[in-house]
Amino acid sequence: MAADSPQQNVFAAIIDEHYIEEPKLVQLLSAPPAKITIDGKEITIKRTAYATDPVTGKPFARPTTIYDAALQLGINIPILCHREHMTPVAVCRFCVVELEGQYRLAPACQRQVEAGMVVKTIATSDRVKNAVKILTELLLADHDTPREAHKEYGENELRVIARQLNLDPHSSRFPRTARDRGHDESSIVIAVDHNACILCDRCIRGCGEIRNNQIIGRMNKGYRARIAFDLNEPMGESNCVSCGECMVSCPTGALTNRKFVLPQVTERQTNVQRITVEELAPHPLFQGVSKQFLGWNEGAIVRRRFKAGEMICREGEFGNSAFIIESGQLEVFIAAPMKHVKARKNRGKGDKVNRGLFGLVRRFTSSLVSTKDDRIDHRDGGASGHPQRYIPIDAPVSLNFDDPVATLTADDLIFGEMSCMNNYPRSASVRAKTDVVVLEILRNVLYILQRNKKSKAMLDEVYRRRSIEGHLRSVPMFSNLMRDEDRFRQFLEDFRERMTLVRLNPGEVIFRQGDAADNFYLVKFGFVKVSQKQPGGEHVLSYVGPGGYIGEIGLLSEIPEIAALAPPGRRVATCQALDHVDLVKITGAAFQEILAKFPEVREQLVQVALDRLHENEVSRQRAETTSMGEFVRQGLMNAQSLLVLDLTKCTRCDECTKACADAHDGVTRLIRDGLRFENWLVASSCRSCLDPYCMAGCPVDAIHRKKTREMVIEDWCIGCGNCAKNCPYGNINMHGFEVQEEDPNHPGHQMAVVKQKATMCDLCSELDGKPSCVYACPHDAAHRYSGDEFRKIVEGRQR
Amino acid sequence: MIVQELRHIQERLGWLPKEEMKALAERLGVPLHRVHEVASFYPLYKLSPPKGVEVKVCRDMACHLRGAPRLRQTLEAFAQEISRPGCQVTVEGVSCLGQCDRAIAVSIEDHYIYKGLPESQLKLCIETAVKKGKMPYRKAGREPLGWKIDVYNGTPHYEAVGRFIRGDLNAEKVIAALKASGLRGLGGAGFPTFRKWDTVRRTAETVKYIVCNADESEPGTFKDRELMRRTPWLVIEGMVLASLVTGAEKGYLYLRHEYPDEEEALAEALREARGKYQVIGDSILGSNRKFDLELFISPGGYVQGEESSLLEAIEDKRGEPRNKPPFPVFQGLFGKPTVINNVETLSWTPGIVLNGGDWYAKGGVNGANGMRFISISGDVAKPGVYEAPFGLTVRDLIYKYSGGMRDGQQLLAIAPSGPSGGFLPAVLRRENLPEKFVEQKMKGANIYDVLDLTLDNGTLSLAGSMLGAAFVVYGDRANIVEQALNCVEFYRNESCGKCVPCRTGSQKLVNMIQELLAGKSSRERMSLVGDLSDTMILTSICGLGQVASNPIASVLRHFRPDVEKYLAAGR
Repeated sequence: MAADSPQQNVFAAIIDEHYIEEPKLVQLLSAPPAKITIDGKEITIKRTAYATDPVTGKPFARPTTIYDAALQLGINIPILCHREHMTPVAVCRFCVVELEGQYRLAPACQRQVEAGMVVKTIATSDRVKNAVKILTELLLADHDTPREAHKEYGENELRVIARQLNLDPHSSRFPRTARDRGHDESSIVIAVDHNACILCDRCIRGCGEIRNNQIIGRMNKGYRARIAFDLNEPMGESNCVSCGECMVSCPTGALTNRKFVLPQVTERQTNVQRITVEELAPHPLFQGVSKQFLGWNEGAIVRRRFKAGEMICREGEFGNSAFIIESGQLEVFIAAPMKHVKARKNRGKGDKVNRGLFGLVRRFTSSLVSTKDDRIDHRDGGASGHPQRYIPIDAPVSLNFDDPVATLTADDLIFGEMSCMNNYPRSASVRAKTDVVVLEILRNVLYILQRNKKSKAMLDEVYRRRSIEGHLRSVPMFSNLMRDEDRFRQFLEDFRERMTLVRLNPGEVIFRQGDAADNFYLVKFGFVKVSQKQPGGEHVLSYVGPGGYIGEIGLLSEIPEIAALAPPGRRVATCQALDHVDLVKITGAAFQEILAKFPEVREQLVQVALDRLHENEVSRQRAETTSMGEFVRQGLMNAQSLLVLDLTKCTRCDECTKACADAHDGVTRLIRDGLRFENWLVASSCRSCLDPYCMAGCPVDAIHRKKTREMVIEDWCIGCGNCAKNCPYGNINMHGFEVQEEDPNHPGHQMAVVKQKATMCDLCSELDGKPSCVYACPHDAAHRYSGDEFRKIVEGRQR
Repeated sequence: MIVQELRHIQERLGWLPKEEMKALAERLGVPLHRVHEVASFYPLYKLSPPKGVEVKVCRDMACHLRGAPRLRQTLEAFAQEISRPGCQVTVEGVSCLGQCDRAIAVSIEDHYIYKGLPESQLKLCIETAVKKGKMPYRKAGREPLGWKIDVYNGTPHYEAVGRFIRGDLNAEKVIAALKASGLRGLGGAGFPTFRKWDTVRRTAETVKYIVCNADESEPGTFKDRELMRRTPWLVIEGMVLASLVTGAEKGYLYLRHEYPDEEEALAEALREARGKYQVIGDSILGSNRKFDLELFISPGGYVQGEESSLLEAIEDKRGEPRNKPPFPVFQGLFGKPTVINNVETLSWTPGIVLNGGDWYAKGGVNGANGMRFISISGDVAKPGVYEAPFGLTVRDLIYKYSGGMRDGQQLLAIAPSGPSGGFLPAVLRRENLPEKFVEQKMKGANIYDVLDLTLDNGTLSLAGSMLGAAFVVYGDRANIVEQALNCVEFYRNESCGKCVPCRTGSQKLVNMIQELLAGKSSRERMSLVGDLSDTMILTSICGLGQVASNPIASVLRHFRPDVEKYLAAGR
């Protein structure tokens, strides 16, 4: 049976401690061995048996069952719902045996041996044989071939048993009960076909007791019973982590691996080489992964070869794969200019500025700007003008602002995980520096690597050894530290020693407002939603992405200024994983130690914490002092400058929109539509929402809030367009600029390419001071107000 | 706390919204599927908002025999008539409500259970519910009926507990009295009561539990209902005695939720036991003994009457039976040694302790031991609950106690254990009976009058049947094959679905009996029914699956001509 095959059990784990603590088991450990007879053969057997954890190879003890004794005697008892490493549930009853002196049959997988037992198995008992045949036919009557069955799938265990019993594995004497129990294809990795499910509970135990993911349970009762995920969500919408344990556990293919992701890698590329399970198995990263699972995913891992100079991926492209570096050197860089968009007044005739299509009567034009003095970096604690600034990217390195190029080698092991897990645009471009060999893997494979003990240990080790340095450099909070490279090195060593990696699934809560503060976290990849209970509901304060950190405030409460604003030792906000998030965790105690040693970090950190608290306080007070629910809900309270149209005066001439377009190279940043309060229309332009969706998903952490809560796009925007897509009000626009870039196909030659940059209303702050839209309105209907000013106006009207 | 918390949510909101279940899971720190697997298992819980008024017509045994399918059709038509947007009246079937003596039972909005009301009045009730008016409802009577079991004659003294605390009695004496009485479990399985108590008493564990199984849900069984309403103090005293004997300090009385009148009576008696009589609490009658007793309302389902499923329900799990061994006396509630007794079993113990084992033992007739309560329903003139001796003949039960057959019908069959023991025909034939019965009871005759059967455990198992608390009588207007389908459907509906033979087997039995009734069966199919029946008996985890095929198996054995008629129709 499959129980003996190591492949089958490769995902099994951890039940040992649980068992050893059982007092009943301790009793059995000291009980004398039992002499029992099975099918006429005698055996004296210990009362406890050892099963082997196939992952750790460690044995664990459990009570000896009749099934164990039969195995030792070489007697074959059919099992379907039982696996050696799972707690026996004895629901299928296929392993029943006859016990002398007992009328009813007993399940061998669950019944413990007792001295003097005389057992007859299916080999010698016709009662048992007939019963098992009937049970097999009962299940076959309603068992469908799984919808997503494919030839790689292992043998259907039910049909194997049917064949062993000389039954037709595809028919049954029992009538079929016409009932479609449904199927579920919402998960990208796993297909569920309830019509093939025989309710053996193996997936439930696989998910619950082996992986401790606790997603699958039974639902309903009786003949209507079936498996369900969480509160009967579609699998893809549940908290399932797609570890694959349920698929490996399923004997009938009711849970199978979906292969529709397969062709994407193999068909798209030319330099692709399929890779077999045998080739892959010795690879250190895949050694802990079930061969069976690798077999199912053949094609989702491919080997690709690149010649020196060839591009592997480009910034801004959407990707669903990650790359494991096997050999060669790669160059990782940001090709987009390190500049931001600025509007400038035309200097009249003879001006050299290219007017383009919209150049008729424009007074303004946009251009890309960045000088040492006019650099935008609004990240928390980012010391302006400091030379050592780093941009976080989806690789084990961070890129220097002034020279955004780095090299990766096989020692860095992997890059592109964030795009792969969360479907983000690539955060940087990667080019082969020498001839390069990589393994490209799809999300389901990365899922498994991240969840498999051995692979995860390797990935974590590489992070600890290599990536942590780049990561810390990209955290603005540590920028003071980097003024002195030796201090930074010291800090790095201290940090490295104490960090652990934590992996979260979408929706998982890291901590809640009011919880006792324990740890400090750096975000490695993914986005964390930070929210706070305020009058009018839960308000999102921020989305913290790669390079960001959370949890500092609760750990700094011995500082008087902070204690004045935050409850001591408690979390002031709730942090929740928005997508697949990897965090670097430092325990509170270790964190305090590090702070004591590095006062410069502490100083910077305290300042940021105070800023954050102060912002929260301001927004809370605003929310408290207003009674207008809608006003608050829509985030208008925090608006710095709303474009408000007085509808009693507005003739809908749209001059404001035109003026905006004129001022920004023909791309308007405002739309004359939006919320109405009485006779006021709040036109759509960036309003610095309470829940800034735009912040979630920037692969290079280039969109931020200023301390004043205004949104700002940093210079290293790579133009992927994620923020524009995420803004629910359409207030972020992509703006194309022509720049010169090295032609990847002709190294050494320059070529013109259009680079996108995200833009949003900047209140024409670079111009004369008065926003163009207001300036342009011929009817005095357009006004700019802060949220607070506007509230007073509206409230005044209402009274 | 999942089971009871879900009940609170439903009482508050009328159903279980997902957000509430999520919040509950977080509050209790359990995975979501743990809450959902419980919520979707028990019939009490609603996972979608109610559309209006819910009417449920009992579909089992006596109610079925007395025309429940017809009543349901009538009410369904009426429901369509009076439903309006915003208030949909739905009519559904429901498993036995335990009102078989007052068939047909109908529940409205789960709270109001009407017994034997004529159609016209039921319609008025439904209308009232639609208008959200005050529902007419008369509570069942609580007056004592002069039973022998009621040693206090309607006024509780908790004398037995008093004697124990005062030292006039001790554990050994109680066990001895129970042993002498021959009292066996009266919930169906018939395990000697003293042995359970003694085993739990002798265990090395210090934490132990007493559980009373008041989840009386087998069709045709309703005697505990009367005992809990008329003499609730007896079962309470029985539990306190069990705790004093075994050393358990916590008890649960697990009551089916369809017994609101009984819940009220028990709650009242419990209050008095705590306050006025001080036999429950931190100090029983001022002594250093303590016992806490919790009334646990079942979220529904017949299988909860199976003792290990009941324990699972108290443990907040799906009420699925456990593999036994280990038995509850060794590893019961929360893995601790547990006494589980039926309501009636516990209710007899004060009398036995006060009057001695003989008082109970000598109550039997025709050589049998002890007394018991019988629920009798179906085609008899006076269905109800009777205190009767073991060994009573079927003749006396039907003609002396129950006023004879209803409407002048002839006796067709009896079901001496509800659906679980199958049917016995009015005339038993030698060739259909086990050899031992023929040897011991028939003295060379070819037929045996079922009226001569004595109702005791030995005789009925000799006859290949079972003695339960339910006794359902079928008159000659009944179609026995169709009645067998009704009984098997009950098991199919109530199967928990844990093990293959019961979950799938009960459904296939229903399919195959339906084929038979439709004239589409064959001898091969009927022999397959026999094989399936054997497999279910041999391999099912619990009693439900083990007896689910008995109704049809007994019809195949004793009513072959009726089966042949349908087989012939198919040829």
